[in-house]
Amino acid sequence: MVEKVKFRVFRYRPEDGGRGFYKEYEVPVKKGMTILDGLIYIKENIDPTLSVRYSCRMAICGSCGVRVNGVETLACHTQVLELRRRTIRVEPMRNYPLVKDLVTDMTPLFRKQKALMTWLIRRDTVEQENPTKQYLQSEEELERYLQFTYCIQCGLCYSACPVVSTFPDFYGPQPLMKAYRYYADSRDEGGEERVRLVDRFEGVWRCHFAGSCSAVCPKGVDPALAIQLLRRSALKG
Amino acid sequence: MKERDLMLLHYITGIGILVFGSIHIATVFFTYPLQDTIWETTLRFDSIPYAVLPVYRNALLAASLFGLLLCTTVHAMNGLRTIIAELIGARKRWVEALLVAVGVFLMVYGTRTILIAHALV
Repeated sequence: MVEKVKFRVFRYRPEDGGRGFYKEYEVPVKKGMTILDGLIYIKENIDPTLSVRYSCRMAICGSCGVRVNGVETLACHTQVLELRRRTIRVEPMRNYPLVKDLVTDMTPLFRKQKALMTWLIRRDTVEQENPTKQYLQSEEELERYLQFTYCIQCGLCYSACPVVSTFPDFYGPQPLMKAYRYYADSRDEGGEERVRLVDRFEGVWRCHFAGSCSAVCPKGVDPALAIQLLRRSALKG
Repeated sequence: MKERDLMLLHYITGIGILVFGSIHIATVFFTYPLQDTIWETTLRFDSIPYAVLPVYRNALLAASLFGLLLCTTVHAMNGLRTIIAELIGARKRWVEALLVAVGVFLMVYGTRTILIAHALV
């Protein structure tokens, strides 16, 4: 059965220099249709000027993060009929510069990731250049950081974070979670340096533990937990 | 001072406020002129500090009041530092210097008051 649902989509054109506006589109919806399907329908059949970023359409690439009825979600991961609304408001993510319509510039997120050195740090450069063995880990060592590797870097947590909204210098949940992911990795040798980086005014201490980052994560990752664990590590020195 | 030390101090002083604050409230409660009715006491509000203050001639109670002053000042100034930075969206050195000055003033003025109460005859 096909029913009509009204999509109230935020539109923004940088060349207009305005604050953006909402435009309504009526979309025929059937069971299984996602918000992304609806947006693609609008783009293909009603308004080709609508800009939306997407790629995999199956909640893996993390490209299509938007706010649906005020809540951060992946457009490809949210079914229209499950929302049980006649009108659906679709807006871009918060806390990012807006590029156009629903497309945001993810640079702040990636810049902060880089600042926290979110990669494996090894001191054995000779071994790195000429590897002779594998880096083995026990199950317990893997468990320490496993859930944090499920992050797809969609940036929804960063958008939902109330602290980033008021204090943009705060590193935010995703970069801090990523820092913990490497800090907890037994193969990593940059622990001290990483703790020094997160133990700054803009670091872990500014988290209010609102938990909205963990609530919106489409992969069930718990960045709020990672921040608390990082705090513990920072206190231990 | 490192951020972790400041925040550790923030947590410790928070617990300190609970402990010393409880002692302070209990002290004031038990030295309240209970023989009067609430209405009469309210009418004679000016006399209450004079009924309570002599209790602080006791060195331990005076020390606990000083503990409350210290914990409240440190906790409040550090809390304000965070709130102001988040409100204006950036960290300002002059704001932090001003908060330190306010904190020092509160400590000096509060210590003076406690010493006066302690020496009250």
